[in-house]
Amino acid sequence: MRFITGIALWFLAAPASAYVEPSLPAWVDKEQAELEDAGWIPGAILLTDDPIPDEPEKTAEKPLEVEQPKPEEIAEDLKPSPDIAEKFLPAYFAERPKSFLIDPQALLSPSDYRDRLAFLNYHASDSSIDLFVYVMGGDQTIPSEVREEELIERFFSAGRPAVVVYYHLGAPQRSVVYLSPSITDSVSAAEQRRALESSVMQAFQKIEPSEQIEKFLVQMSIRIYWMERMLAGETTASDTLPPAPELAASDRQPVGQSAKFPWMQDLARRFVVPTALVAAVFLTAFGFVHWFRIRARYRFPEFSVEQRLGGAHAAGVGAVISFASAAVPPASQREQVPDYLRRA
Amino acid sequence: MKCPRCVQRIHRAAASCPHCGFTLADADCQFGTEDVQLRSLTDSAGILRRGERQRVEAAMEQITRRFPQVFVAIYTGSLGEISNIRQFGFWLLNRAAFEDVPVEKPNEAGILLTIDPESKAAGIVFGYLLDPFLEESDTFECLSRAHAYWLEGRYADGIVRALAHLDGILRKRSRHARRDPEHFERKVALPAQLGDLVRRIRAGHRPGVPEEEAQEVLW
Repeated sequence: MRFITGIALWFLAAPASAYVEPSLPAWVDKEQAELEDAGWIPGAILLTDDPIPDEPEKTAEKPLEVEQPKPEEIAEDLKPSPDIAEKFLPAYFAERPKSFLIDPQALLSPSDYRDRLAFLNYHASDSSIDLFVYVMGGDQTIPSEVREEELIERFFSAGRPAVVVYYHLGAPQRSVVYLSPSITDSVSAAEQRRALESSVMQAFQKIEPSEQIEKFLVQMSIRIYWMERMLAGETTASDTLPPAPELAASDRQPVGQSAKFPWMQDLARRFVVPTALVAAVFLTAFGFVHWFRIRARYRFPEFSVEQRLGGAHAAGVGAVISFASAAVPPASQREQVPDYLRRA
Repeated sequence: MKCPRCVQRIHRAAASCPHCGFTLADADCQFGTEDVQLRSLTDSAGILRRGERQRVEAAMEQITRRFPQVFVAIYTGSLGEISNIRQFGFWLLNRAAFEDVPVEKPNEAGILLTIDPESKAAGIVFGYLLDPFLEESDTFECLSRAHAYWLEGRYADGIVRALAHLDGILRKRSRHARRDPEHFERKVALPAQLGDLVRRIRAGHRPGVPEEEAQEVLW
């Protein structure tokens, strides 16, 4: 084994030992003298540390005096850049969008745009609430003359209910969510806020803006599913919503599968309320009976009883039982006998 | 109704046992003629520990609360070889003055459980109030429930078990008495005498006697 290892090491080391670094060229004194006599040595400037002849010696340059930026100027720089360019505004806000993904500035790459749009189309086919996404730059703002609520009311009052997201690419925390008027009353503001927060949290798990918007949309789609259930009136928000927004897109599969048995869901929905009512009635009745039995007071009619054996208060002689031995069970003592007979 | 000494059936108004002549005076000779003051839970034998006493008292209190007319008393003590636990129970319920029982509850409303850990016997005696409602077999059932516990020396458990069963029997009898009080009244009513029968027949055949008058004659 050692021999084989040694052979292997030798083979590996052989090429390294065979490589010999070539020596640097050296001047031949005679040739150098001839070239110096001729007045030019090629590359002499490079091979010497001496200053280049005929070149003025550099003096240390003084740093330029530049005025430092003022704090307010720094603050100004942090502010987002101006509003969305005017030429894009009609594409954004002129009419109800034809597509679920609105990106007239082409902020998303074509492939990302295609993928996100495909996802939104899939969402629309699977959900009764559409998801419209306006993509904007991370530092862009919606012009002040654009009133978002008014736009939502104007464009999304008719047709299927919709969730509209103004998404800032690379800055998902600046995103804003609006609901179409038909579902605003059913979905509380708190639920909207939770949906947005969880989507932003999911987006922040990624660094790339294109990946951020993907995660954002997936999570928003999941939250819309819960909104949908609230609209259906099946449950309330607090007891159905998962506590942590950890659901992935693949987690929706079982939900989709349950839709394969609508008759079962319909049956459950139809009987859950009557069953709950009957159970509540039974429980209430049981509780009432139990409470009544606990609280009940029992009285005996009082009859005049003749005294016996001279006893002023009592002569009701009951049973006597002996527990001296396990060999004499109660069953054998049912026939009551005087103690003197028992002892005998 | 049985005699505490000879355990023979006796008349419901017998002044003394027709079989052995037993009366309370005989028991007085054996146990004393003076009234005895004691608490409703008197553990003279010392068979109950503190926690067990509380459990037993709670079970007694439950019966007292549920049946406001009734109280339960428990006496544990060594009665000696010659003593008869029936006679002692009979005597104690007639002679005892229970300190912690309200005055408005006379001993007629009492149920006395007597346990003798030395002779390993236990008995139940009850007052005249429960005479129509409790029978010997009922008390036997109660004691049977406790038998297994008392065999192991778990006196408190046995007492609680017996009282729980007694509670059930009393509830049942109370409901029955509410529905059909005559059933129980007949148990304690004096037997009709021959003279009563003749009067009843004559009253029934007398023409023109109003119903109320006839009833008056009857009773």
